[in-house]
Amino acid sequence: MNPQTLEFSQVSFGFDDWPHVLLNASWHVPAGEFHCLLGRSGCGKTTLLKLAAGLLTPQSGQVLWHGVPVLQPMPDVGFVFQTPTLLHWLSVLDNVLLPIKLHRACTPQEQQRALDVLSQMGLAAMLHQRPSQLSGGQQSRVAIARALMTEPALLLMDEPFAALDALTREDLQTELRQWVTRLGTSVVFVTHDISEAVFLADHVAVMNQGCIAQDVQIQAPLRDKSWRYSPAFVQHCAALRDALDDVSMLA
Amino acid sequence: MTKRNTPSTSKQVTLVMSAALCVCALILWEWLVRAKGISALVLPAPSSIALTLWQGLRSGYLWPHMLQTLAEWAAGLSLGCVLGFVGGLVLGEVALVRQIALPYIVTSQVVPKLALAPLFIVWFGFGALPTVVMTALICFFPLLENTMTAVSQADAQQLDLFRMLRASRWTTLVQLKLPQGLPTVLTGLRMAVVLAWVGAVVGEFTTASKGLGALIIAAQGSMDTALMFAVLVLITALGWVSYQACGVFERFVLRQTGFLKR
Repeated sequence: MNPQTLEFSQVSFGFDDWPHVLLNASWHVPAGEFHCLLGRSGCGKTTLLKLAAGLLTPQSGQVLWHGVPVLQPMPDVGFVFQTPTLLHWLSVLDNVLLPIKLHRACTPQEQQRALDVLSQMGLAAMLHQRPSQLSGGQQSRVAIARALMTEPALLLMDEPFAALDALTREDLQTELRQWVTRLGTSVVFVTHDISEAVFLADHVAVMNQGCIAQDVQIQAPLRDKSWRYSPAFVQHCAALRDALDDVSMLA
Repeated sequence: MTKRNTPSTSKQVTLVMSAALCVCALILWEWLVRAKGISALVLPAPSSIALTLWQGLRSGYLWPHMLQTLAEWAAGLSLGCVLGFVGGLVLGEVALVRQIALPYIVTSQVVPKLALAPLFIVWFGFGALPTVVMTALICFFPLLENTMTAVSQADAQQLDLFRMLRASRWTTLVQLKLPQGLPTVLTGLRMAVVLAWVGAVVGEFTTASKGLGALIIAAQGSMDTALMFAVLVLITALGWVSYQACGVFERFVLRQTGFLKR
């Protein structure tokens, strides 16, 4: 097994009032790949992501990262939440530098890197503005910039574009895919939007009732606008829709 | 076509109406006292109270008392705020301490403070010290309660973010919980500023020979009801000014920290 792989081995987890959120889930994410977790609300997607992050600990089974059990948040793993989770008393630049500033003062190189990341995201003119002065899309960009600031080997994303309008969401999907491909970052992206999963992912894991029911590979020539409107894209969407319906019926 | 009032115009109208209500009440009071021939020992006319206040301020008679109360208010408020803030942080952060200590802290607040005054005389003697302690005891609670609430109810997702960034407990407190809970802490401070006047004046009622509280008791002894009212007006004015100043400070801090739009 490649040590860069994120590996779920027979993982079960539940809460007091919801005992079987995940039931013997097994799954793996090879290095540098983009994986989407697709499923209906309440199927255990976010719980699986939090287990990968080390924010939750499995009740049975193991989550392995670099071949080591994940029992707490790891330094080379980034997380982007459903809402941007920006600290509104800090400027845009300070929010992006937060992962470093929480531990020590920033070096000039790190300052420059933050400026570069923000510049690539079209936020160069907003460095000293507060998050409340930004649009929803800009806030999401800042949250992603913050997660990419430490160049994580694995990026976990929990429906980060769910609250955005359709056009902004499409723009951010294209940009995200370009950024993580350039950095070689592995990504686990939770969504309940089939077209989002097909556009972004190399693999889509279809979840149902706490299990990975299917793992579908998506082969796309390019992740740009042409892919979104191609016949193959529509076929993948239809196949995933069928897969979701099938696993629901089986359950 | 109807013309809508802007918010600032509406606020000005409300202010004018509020001031008009006060003026009407004073005129009615003045008329009632003169027309019914009410004794100044029972209810002095507003004009008489204003005259007493003016003479007291002009002659310098009221100033030492006012400065004494102001000093006790400031000292008691500072002591109460420091204790309340630090206590709130500890109680908010450590659940075990909260469970053990909170019942005793609440007990200290439900005991009538005036009933503690004789005990304070025994412990701290006469003068400023028992008044300062009384003031601190009264005003520390809102800050403690609000600080405790602020740090123990931080946003769950932001707490997860700080866990992901492997922030220490201290860093999470200083860089997340406190900034996020700032409006709640400042609301506690605003309440403490007002309650501190209650503590200072009530403390002076029983333990002091100088200060506005002591002056009310002295005026009562010499049957000078107009002076009692004049001191009450002075205390009210001081309370208002301190409350408004605290509000200005609060808005300034919240604007600087992005809670309010500039």
